[in-house]
Amino acid sequence: MAMRSQVYEFTALNAGAARDAQNSIFTGGAAFGTSITKPAETTATQFVVIEQVSSTGSTPATYAGGATGVQGYTQVRINTTEYFLKTDNIPNDGIPGAASPYPRTVAFQPSFNLYPDVYVLPGQVWDVLYVTRGPDNTVIPDVFVKYTLYDGPDALIANKLLELGISVSPANVDWYKRSLISAQSAPAPANGA
Amino acid sequence: MAMRSQIYEWSNLAPLGAGATLQRRSTDLPVNIVTGTQLSIFTGGVGYNTTKPSETTATQFVVIEDIACTPDTGAAAKTANENGGAVQVRINTTEYFQNPDVTAMAGVTGLASPYPRGLAVTTPVASNLLKSFDLYPDVYVLPGQVWDILYTQQGATLSASSTACGVAVFVKYTLYDGPDALIANKLLELGITVNPANVDWYKRTLIEQQMGGGMA
Repeated sequence: MAMRSQVYEFTALNAGAARDAQNSIFTGGAAFGTSITKPAETTATQFVVIEQVSSTGSTPATYAGGATGVQGYTQVRINTTEYFLKTDNIPNDGIPGAASPYPRTVAFQPSFNLYPDVYVLPGQVWDVLYVTRGPDNTVIPDVFVKYTLYDGPDALIANKLLELGISVSPANVDWYKRSLISAQSAPAPANGA
Repeated sequence: MAMRSQIYEWSNLAPLGAGATLQRRSTDLPVNIVTGTQLSIFTGGVGYNTTKPSETTATQFVVIEDIACTPDTGAAAKTANENGGAVQVRINTTEYFQNPDVTAMAGVTGLASPYPRGLAVTTPVASNLLKSFDLYPDVYVLPGQVWDILYTQQGATLSASSTACGVAVFVKYTLYDGPDALIANKLLELGITVNPANVDWYKRTLIEQQMGGGMA
C-alpha cells in the first residue's frame, strides 16, 4: 500500500477552546481538543499531498454573535512557513469554515477547493492550525483534513514528478510507472535498424 | 511552492471604536457602512484590512478565480443573511465589470455569487442560495500591477456594533511566483488559459523537448 488516502478529524474540547488561540489540531493538547502523540512529519521515504482542509461552517452575518458564528479558520504550516498569506505577505488565519465547511450541508457548501494541492516533501514537519474568531458558545468546532501519503517507491516517483513539474496525484504516479514499464518492455532495436 | 492557492476573506468587523483591524478577534463588532458606499476590502479602512494595497512584483502573476459576497436579496424585511451587496475587481485604475454602455457598475452581486454558498434566505423564496455566476475566464493580474476588490453595500445601511450587521467578501486566487510566473506570462502570450494544469503542461513540454522525448 504505497499510496494511501488518509484523513484526520479534529474536534475541539468545547465551543470556546479555539477562540482567539491558533493551535495545532495534531498536538494542541487536551485543553484544545483531539490530539495525537507527536507532530506530523514525513520520513525520508514519505511524501504527503494535502488535498483538502475544512472546518465547521459559519455565516458571516452572525460572525459577531449567533448560533452559526463559529468563524473558524484553518491554516497549513510546513516546517515554520504558513501557507496562506494576505496580499501583503503577512500570514492570515487561513481558510474560513464558511468557504470550506465541514461537514458539508445544504446550508454550508464549499466555495474553496485546495488546488494546487500542498506538498509535504520528505523530512518536513507539517501542521494544520485552527482558530475561531466568533463569540459563539454553542457549537463545538471540527476540522477535517484529507491527504494522500506516498511511501517507499511511490514517494520516489512523487519526487520525480515534482522535479518534472508534474502534479503529484495517484493518477500521475500510476502514469509514471506505466511509462517506465512500457519503456523497459519495449523491444530493443535490431542491429543495423 | 511556486503556484499557491490563496484566499482572502473580508468582513466588516473590527474592535469597538476602531474602523479597521489587521487582526481578527472574537470581540470584534460590525462597522457602520452606509448604503451605496464602495470600499476596498484590502485598504478601505473598514473591517479586516491589510497593511498595503495588493500588488504583484516583477516575478509574480495572480489569477483571480472566484469572488463572492453576502447577498442583497431585496427582501422587504431583510434578515442579516440578505443585507449585502456586490463586488468589483479593479486592476490598476480599471474596473473589470462594466455596463454594456461602458459605464461603471457595482460588479457581481452577492445574489449571483453568494458567500457562503448555501446560506439561508427568505427571498425570492425561503431557501438556500446557490451561485449563478462563475468567474470564468479568470481575471489576470500581470507582473507589476496593482489590484483591488471593491465591495458596495447595496442593502440597508449596516449599523455599527449591531451583531446582526456582519457582511463578508471572499476572494480565491492563485499566486504564481518565480519561474511559474514566467511560464504564466508565456501562456498568456500564446493565448492559453493560465491555470495550474496548463503551467504543468508547459513545463512537461519543455522537459520533453530537452530530453528529445525520453523520460528518464
